[in-house]
Amino acid sequence: MGDWSGYIGLMLDGARVTVELTVLGCALALPVAFAAGLGRLSRFWAVRALALAYIEFFRGTSIFVQLFWAYFVLPLIGFELTPLQAGVLALGLNVGAYGAEVVRSAVQSIGREQHEACVALNLTRWQGLRHVLLPQAFVVMIPTFGNNAIELLKATSVVSLISLTDLTFQAQVVRSQTGSTAIPFLTVLVIYFALASAISFGMKTLERRMTRGLDGIRH
Amino acid sequence: MTEPIIHIDHVTKSYGSFTVLKDLCFSVMPGEKLALIGPSGSGKTTILRTLMTLERIDSGVIRVDGDYLFHMERNGRLVPADEAHLHRMRAKIGMVFQLFNLFPHKTVLENVTLAPMLTKGVRKADAQRRAMELLEMVGMAGKANSMPAALSGGQKQRVAIARALALQPRIMLFDEVTSALDPELVEEVLNVMRMLGTQTDMTMLLVTHEMSFAHDFADRVLFFDRGRIVEEGPPGDIFTNPRNERTQTFLKKIIAAGQRI
Ligand SMILES: Nc1ncnc2c1ncn2[C@@H]1O[C@H](COP(=O)(O)OP(=O)(O)OP(=O)(O)O)[C@@H](O)[C@H]1O
Ligand SMILES: [Mg+2]
Repeated sequence: MGDWSGYIGLMLDGARVTVELTVLGCALALPVAFAAGLGRLSRFWAVRALALAYIEFFRGTSIFVQLFWAYFVLPLIGFELTPLQAGVLALGLNVGAYGAEVVRSAVQSIGREQHEACVALNLTRWQGLRHVLLPQAFVVMIPTFGNNAIELLKATSVVSLISLTDLTFQAQVVRSQTGSTAIPFLTVLVIYFALASAISFGMKTLERRMTRGLDGIRH
Repeated sequence: MTEPIIHIDHVTKSYGSFTVLKDLCFSVMPGEKLALIGPSGSGKTTILRTLMTLERIDSGVIRVDGDYLFHMERNGRLVPADEAHLHRMRAKIGMVFQLFNLFPHKTVLENVTLAPMLTKGVRKADAQRRAMELLEMVGMAGKANSMPAALSGGQKQRVAIARALALQPRIMLFDEVTSALDPELVEEVLNVMRMLGTQTDMTMLLVTHEMSFAHDFADRVLFFDRGRIVEEGPPGDIFTNPRNERTQTFLKKIIAAGQRI
């Protein structure tokens, strides 16, 4: 019964949408995390307040509600978004808020003496951040960024609610068409797990490359 | 008559209710080698950090090379310095820290070239050539491509000195630069300092617990106690014939601890 190769094709299409959402979501979350995280450390009161408001708002409300706002409420004030755009926007801003705290705490974890060396060498605040503090902080951020990216991957399934045909959505389709629950959802499980493992592996590789030499051995 | 390159005028600084610098006044002449000695907590580090603008003062004025350090003149009135002014002033001053503060993610060579390239727009090739000369001078050219973590403390400190020299400051501040070193590594750093003392006309201020080094190196010694200078003079006078009772007690303790002066 049923054409399983066709169903597998459906699921793979769904996986492609999920990957697309994850990649674009991360592409938005990363710069947003840096902007808000560094904003939290700004010399200017207004910038700090703005960054804090953004972070608290997106961490304090659910991704589900944020997605509905992006897709159903923004059009009411003139911003018409495709489901994909709405999904990327909600996911990127939501995970960006978590990433911002990662950026902030990583920069703060770099010892005061590094900052003081920058002052003594007459670097500007921005130069010190760009060439001394951020490169060291980035190594600290990578593992948590990996977790954030996996959280984002898992959160992509909410977009099936605005009828984006992602992996979870397609699994529902296959289930309703075949009457089989175990097979499509087992497939979904395996695919999500494979994607998450790929992210983990990528992050570990990156971390290993970035920490070269810090232990005193030039590889 | 030459003007002092550093002029500290009635400077006071407190941390909460604890006053670290009490109405401090002293001047340093261009090219002078000054040793700051005194018991722990007397404010020696604080005055160096203040000159490097790592600390702010509560009252008084500091002039460096003819300009106010923390103030600017606007329409004949003194106003707090802005970041651009501090940036200009910092270009005159370099500092070497007790714990080296090298950049761990950069090679020895990159540690030395970074600031000249960023703050003075020196081209990479020129910065590298100059850095290699400096590393040669401190005996570290062979380690130019090493990471700081692969170096001994003495080697790190010599790189840190080269890094500060790369910006060609007129004034160099050394805060107990040998205190964190194993005893057998102290001499290699002191040798570099001796060479700087005799071969350059930089103004040098050093805080040290190495009394025999201070004796040979310094033109003048300031003895600090509880945020004040209680005695000053040429090392010959301070070390062999201290007049102040606290200086005497301090030096006796040092000798009792086994140091030669
Ligand atoms: N950030 C700070 N907050 C509070 N107190 C401080 C701070 N920095 C320094 N102090 C105190 O100020 C006093 C003077 O410190 P400073 O480091 O200048 O002394 P020092 O003469 O360099 O002593 P040492 O020989 O131990 O290095 C010390 O009692 C120290 O505890
Ligand atoms: Mg000290």
